[in-house]
Amino acid sequence: MVLLAVPLVKWDDVLKILLAGLIGAVGVVVVYGFLLLAVQRARRSKHEATRVLDYAIAGVCGLLCVGAVAIGIVAIVHKPKSSQSSSKGKAKIALLTPR
Amino acid sequence: MGSDLILVIVIVTAASFDFTNGFHDTANAVATSIATGALKPRVAVGMSAILNLIGAFLSISVAATIAKGIINPSLIKGNTGMLIVLAALIGAILWNLITWYFSMPSSSSHALIGGVIGATLAAAGSQAVSFHALAQSVLAPAILSPFICLLVAVLGTFCAYRLIRLLAEDFARRGYRYGQVGSAALVSLAHGTNDAQKTMGVITLALIADGKISAAHFYVPFWVKLLCAGSIAAGTFIGGWRIINTMGNRITPLESPQGFAAEAASGATILASSYYGYPLSTTQVVSGGVMGAGLGKKLASVNFGVVGQMVTAWVCTIPAAGLIGAGAWEVTNIFGVHGGVASVVVAAITAGLAAGVFILAQRNKIAPDELDRTHVSPLEESGAREPAIATG
Repeated sequence: MVLLAVPLVKWDDVLKILLAGLIGAVGVVVVYGFLLLAVQRARRSKHEATRVLDYAIAGVCGLLCVGAVAIGIVAIVHKPKSSQSSSKGKAKIALLTPR
Repeated sequence: MGSDLILVIVIVTAASFDFTNGFHDTANAVATSIATGALKPRVAVGMSAILNLIGAFLSISVAATIAKGIINPSLIKGNTGMLIVLAALIGAILWNLITWYFSMPSSSSHALIGGVIGATLAAAGSQAVSFHALAQSVLAPAILSPFICLLVAVLGTFCAYRLIRLLAEDFARRGYRYGQVGSAALVSLAHGTNDAQKTMGVITLALIADGKISAAHFYVPFWVKLLCAGSIAAGTFIGGWRIINTMGNRITPLESPQGFAAEAASGATILASSYYGYPLSTTQVVSGGVMGAGLGKKLASVNFGVVGQMVTAWVCTIPAAGLIGAGAWEVTNIFGVHGGVASVVVAAITAGLAAGVFILAQRNKIAPDELDRTHVSPLEESGAREPAIATG
């Protein structure tokens, strides 16, 4: 009966995931789109200075995309919140407790 | 002697489950890349297999979390404990094969949890299972996960098509194809870290039940990591072409910007859920992402008939795997839990049934070449396509 007091859906976690997903995914899609736009402009540009600027913008966008992937890999490796939440919300029974 | 035989059979069965998990879930990472012609089918599954292998070694933080809090741990001891684990694995393997035969993407983790619950209910009754924990940590996330990713993918796809207006169409679509390679790679890596480790946890659990490892000093032996990583990578490399076809071609006709948005949404949602410790199913997240990519493009259509079939498979996964797991437990019970005979008999029956499903599947096989769209020009992506049909 005590367990029924615990809500079925952890809305805080759900909202955080939704927000992180929106920032991560929509951010990467938009930044990657700007990368393509900058490359296209650079290819079409007749002026050297504009071409260099556009390639620089494309480079920055590329770095941002690579950075997003790197953050993803760090999240895969460390999963810090995952371990915290599992120890915080430790159930009274567990199939196996790793630590 | 009897317990050693059971342990060996549990380990072989766990590796087999990991293999089915690999080919069943390949679609999650590569279906959209194959569907838009970003990658050749064989190249896509090869890349995914390598990244699943690497991912399996990256972290063991999710090992042993399968069914955590859902069933009573005191049951998983000795031969009885190992036979519960064996019955659970059999439930998961057979349900994975059934859904693969019908070309339906369903969660392998849910199948394993269903198998564990079914075997536990049959072995110890309903007091051994926490249904509240099941609802909180499995059912609620299962209902929410497709919707979360769907929303993210709708917005991602909308933004991608807004930007495409500023670009030459051919150049944009070719560019998004390159982007899809990166997003597919990230989803493969995340899949390897999550799913291979669940099987590592199951094998380690059996080793603890048999007394080979002390529960007080939990660790995953290197050979267990190697076995699980190799099994999931081999399964991924085989390529579950039937499910790849469903995910990539039958839900909605995908173009490269949609594929990129779907993969980016899936990757971001899976990683965020993993980071915040909220257990979302990769399969359901990716399916939601593909549907969102379909809805996010103006006038794009989603095949709600196929979506309905998928949702039916998701709803049935835990009860069906549970029923099979309970049945497997009852068969072992006939032969008694103290000898190895029970485990040999259920393993042999499972192998026979699995072979039967494979033979049936050969009648309407889907070959990777049928799914290859790399020869299609980016500008022809949206043209009508005939998905390979494997209705089962």
